[in-house]
Amino acid sequence: MLSLGPLAFAAPWVLVALVGLPVLFWLLRVTPPSPRRQSFPVLLLLRGLVAAETTPARTPWWLLLLRIVVAALVIIGLARPVWGPGAGAGGPGPLLLVVDDGWASAPDWAERIAVAQGALEAASREARRVALFPTAPTEAAEPPHPGPLLPAEEARARLAALRPKPWAADHAAAATALAEWRGSNALGDGALSSLWVTTGLAGDGGFDTLATALRRAGPLTLARAEDHPIRLLLAPEAEPERLILHIAQTPEPRPGEAVVLARTIDGRTLARAVIPLEAGATTGQAALDLPIELRNQVTRLDLQDTAGAGGVVLLDERFRRRPVGLIAGDEAGADAELLGDVFWLDRALSPFVELRRGSIETLLSRPLALLILADRPLTPGREQQAVADWVEKGGTLLRFAGPRLAEAADPLLPVPLRAGERALGSALSWEQPQHLAAFPEGSPFAGLPVPEEVLVERQVLAEPVAGLAERTWARLADGTPLVTAENRGRGRIVLVHVTANAAWSNLPLSGLYVDLLRRVIGLSAGVAGVQGGQPLPPLEVLDGFGRLGLPGAAAAAVAGEAIASAAPGPRSPPGWYGAAGEGAERRALNLSAGVPAPVLAALPPGVPVRPIGGVPAEADLGPWLLAMALLLLVLDMLLSLRLRGFLTLRAASLALLLALTPAMAQAEPPEAVVLAQATRLAYVLTGDPTVDEVSRQGLVGLSDFVNRRTAAALAEPVGLVPGRDDLSFFPLIYWPVLPSAQALDAMGAEAVNAFFRNGGIILFDTRDEGSGEGTWPGAPAALRRLTRDLTVPPLAPIADDHVLRRAFYLLPEMPGRFAGGQVWAARDQDRANDSVSPVIIGGHDWAAAWAVDGRGQNPYATIPGGARQRTLAYRFGTNLVMYALTGNYKGDQVHVPAILERLGN
Amino acid sequence: MPAPRPPAAEALGARLPPLVVAADRVAATVRAGVHGRRRPGQGDAFWQFRPFAQGDAVNRIDWRQSARGDRLYVRETESEAAQTIGLWRATGPGMGWRGAASRPTKRERAELLLLALASLLLRGGERVRLLGAGRTLAGRGALERLAEDLGASEGALDDPSLSRHSRIVLFGDFWAPLPEWQARLSGFAARGLRGTLVQVIDPAEESLPYAGRIRFEGLDGEAPELLPRVEGVRPAYAARVAAHRAGLHDLARMAGCTLLTHHTDQPPEAALLALWLALAEAAR
Repeated sequence: MLSLGPLAFAAPWVLVALVGLPVLFWLLRVTPPSPRRQSFPVLLLLRGLVAAETTPARTPWWLLLLRIVVAALVIIGLARPVWGPGAGAGGPGPLLLVVDDGWASAPDWAERIAVAQGALEAASREARRVALFPTAPTEAAEPPHPGPLLPAEEARARLAALRPKPWAADHAAAATALAEWRGSNALGDGALSSLWVTTGLAGDGGFDTLATALRRAGPLTLARAEDHPIRLLLAPEAEPERLILHIAQTPEPRPGEAVVLARTIDGRTLARAVIPLEAGATTGQAALDLPIELRNQVTRLDLQDTAGAGGVVLLDERFRRRPVGLIAGDEAGADAELLGDVFWLDRALSPFVELRRGSIETLLSRPLALLILADRPLTPGREQQAVADWVEKGGTLLRFAGPRLAEAADPLLPVPLRAGERALGSALSWEQPQHLAAFPEGSPFAGLPVPEEVLVERQVLAEPVAGLAERTWARLADGTPLVTAENRGRGRIVLVHVTANAAWSNLPLSGLYVDLLRRVIGLSAGVAGVQGGQPLPPLEVLDGFGRLGLPGAAAAAVAGEAIASAAPGPRSPPGWYGAAGEGAERRALNLSAGVPAPVLAALPPGVPVRPIGGVPAEADLGPWLLAMALLLLVLDMLLSLRLRGFLTLRAASLALLLALTPAMAQAEPPEAVVLAQATRLAYVLTGDPTVDEVSRQGLVGLSDFVNRRTAAALAEPVGLVPGRDDLSFFPLIYWPVLPSAQALDAMGAEAVNAFFRNGGIILFDTRDEGSGEGTWPGAPAALRRLTRDLTVPPLAPIADDHVLRRAFYLLPEMPGRFAGGQVWAARDQDRANDSVSPVIIGGHDWAAAWAVDGRGQNPYATIPGGARQRTLAYRFGTNLVMYALTGNYKGDQVHVPAILERLGN
Repeated sequence: MPAPRPPAAEALGARLPPLVVAADRVAATVRAGVHGRRRPGQGDAFWQFRPFAQGDAVNRIDWRQSARGDRLYVRETESEAAQTIGLWRATGPGMGWRGAASRPTKRERAELLLLALASLLLRGGERVRLLGAGRTLAGRGALERLAEDLGASEGALDDPSLSRHSRIVLFGDFWAPLPEWQARLSGFAARGLRGTLVQVIDPAEESLPYAGRIRFEGLDGEAPELLPRVEGVRPAYAARVAAHRAGLHDLARMAGCTLLTHHTDQPPEAALLALWLALAEAAR
């Protein structure tokens, strides 16, 4: 190994051959070039001419230089020069390649791998064995451990397969594993050297632990990214009109900024916020303002230009705004200070939801998560129906009782009510005002503290029906229901058995009132809220680069209540958790919730540190130099030919171009290019090999006939399957309908409809006409099945003056193998697509009539028979091809008599 | 080698006034043509009315003129005569050569000139004939038929059936050794055939614009000639060319012919003009 700055030679002894170059120079110089050849007609006059002086012919100096350069390039190329050789970790013994593959390594993963690969190349040259040691727990939830000692070539494949993990590296566990591994491999202190491609994150002292362990094992080299900070996007705070975004990062000497993109579930970017970061700052924040309707669609925040799970925050339902409609029983005094029906509701809700007021019709005309009716009976008929429909579709209806509701109960209540209300502690009652009981288990309110001061003086009473207990979310101390609820369709109706103002109870005056409302709102939007410790299975999880994907085998369900605080790891990777399916609730487990803010560890003293990034990967220059030498040799050959008069300048440049683009010249044209190069007929593959072969033979026969008799040039027909193959290359498709044919799938139907729209023609052949129903019973039914999803225009029997009867030949009938049946096409009046019918339907088994076998004979007899019938069948096919190729061009002939008559007049 | 198409030649010829070669010494070869003889005779053009005389054929009476008066008139036409021009162009591998891709081959240029000249002559009413082709052409469509003859012709120079005192125009490079041409030209002269030789050559044949070490290869299967330094022999070559040209000139003069030289890098119009002047001068 010979090194000259960034250039090194793997086989330096080859360079000795450079000494031979002057000899080569001298040899080339004394050899005269071959004479140029020139044709000349006046040779007679040239004979025996002797020049006044003769000087020896010399090879031109530039050609000499070119050849010397070629020779030098070959010699240097064979010496295997390497540009920027990856310096191996100095030191003895096998190489331990420690790679941090936690979340923080993802943004500059490629550079990290490049550094590691450089070390592998160096180890490969030095024939050292290598052990690869990722420091994050694996996907299979195993703690980090060093791999086996391998030759560098084998370690390379393992390195290439390594991916960053969406959780933090576990350096402490890695240090433990290192000690065990050294023990089992009998590697004493100083017996190996290690290169640690690290993120440099302190991670609760784990960095120091591992660094100490590695230094004990032998010489340690660190590779760390110095030029960009490690950033972690934290969970945002939801405020009424905006999201406050937070970011944590390792300090950076220059001020910078981080760009956060708000994306929807399908990846569209809805908004962009810039977080300014001052020099040396470790945190930053910015507000993201979004219109309400847009904000509800945001499910994901991404740090721009930072690939990695650390730059992703998933927003689950808790971050969504839910518009709430509010209607009072008596709109006139509804907003009266302290007394109005909705005064307290407005005060409680407006800080954190969007409140809308208006009639029921107006409110339901826009998306609404929750509709609150404060003592507002619903009139039977349209109003009730509208609300009921909305609830069925997923709306949450929250009703408050009151005098009016007590008088006129309607069906949109979770429980049937007794007429009138129950007064507690009034002058005419023995009973005392009631306190609240603790919320029952399973209620959405479970866990809320019950304030002592809440007293209910009056309420509506539910009929004691079966299942009342399950529908009760809150009770009074005496057990009567205070809040009842019932699921209706995908929605839910909740009834609070007291008024929304302080008339019947002092509930609206307590803090509990706000909590109750927020819980109800949190449950709204038709989502069956997950309560308590119900385990949520992982749905989609982030990989190390911040991309969502299917969860691995080790990922397990996480309890709903633990999700907010769960530490991300192999068992609980960050991502979406919850039930699959539309409308089901999803909860987000975010990386930033479970990892500490990134803090760089102090580097251990005396350890060499190498930067990551900015260092080009080492490049083997040998092949390039040899290729260049080859290219120059070609140039030399062309120049020599030119000097000898064999080659004009244009031919030379052409040859050079050809030499330079062998790949282009040899590229196989893709199938689409082949198909697009010629017009050809096509047939639909039915899956029955016999029928498909008949179709193919038939179209081959027809193509031959058409090529012989007309100016059309048809290439070999092809078989295809709608929905799988592109139909757009074919003017006409023959479709034999088998009795067993199944309806098209969605893709196939869409492909065929698109084919129709773009002017294609399909000939459906049920092959049953004229043979009685015996041959293919059920083919018409199969045809109906097939065409069910197709946009087939209204059909009519082909009239005597239809273009199809005169597109090339004049045809009185249109027989195939059978004759006498009816052939159908779109009605002529249909002006869509220039009144060219997209479908022709018949049952004459035309393909069998057209079929030509390998010996050029017609294998299928016509019925009732005769050469005439076959000729007519071919003629029909020709007309059909002409119809497909020229459309209604020949239709103008219909007007010829009229035009002639007009000319005559 | 396809002959140049007649339209190209016609277009070239159309730029000069119709070339009329005075038909001197035509008595022996006279045939009906379009040269007015300034006297009554066979022809198409009106010459004069003269009173009917005894012995005139009745069908010669011009009844329209006669009906104007009491006397009968006979319409007389001008006597006309034409001359036959024999044309020839050399073939052979040397004629297919060109010194640069931008120039036409000598044969292409020779055929173009031949057809252009024929076009002029035909429009002047002359009769043309390709030597060795065996037919004399005149009138409409003659140019096309001449082009057909040209395509079929192998370049034979002998044409015993060419009438005496015709004119000949020969196109070629005339690089063959002088004694050969002396024999041929004296043969023509013996039959009273006079005319013009047009030497069509590529400029490279005269200037020898090559340099360095070059192996010259003949086109007719001759042995190649290796010149180590071409630029050194250029003056000697130019002297040889001049000597050949002078010899050819003398031969032509002795045979009563004119020698013109045309280079393929010059426009063909110049050559045609020179040719026209030469033919007209010879006729005077």
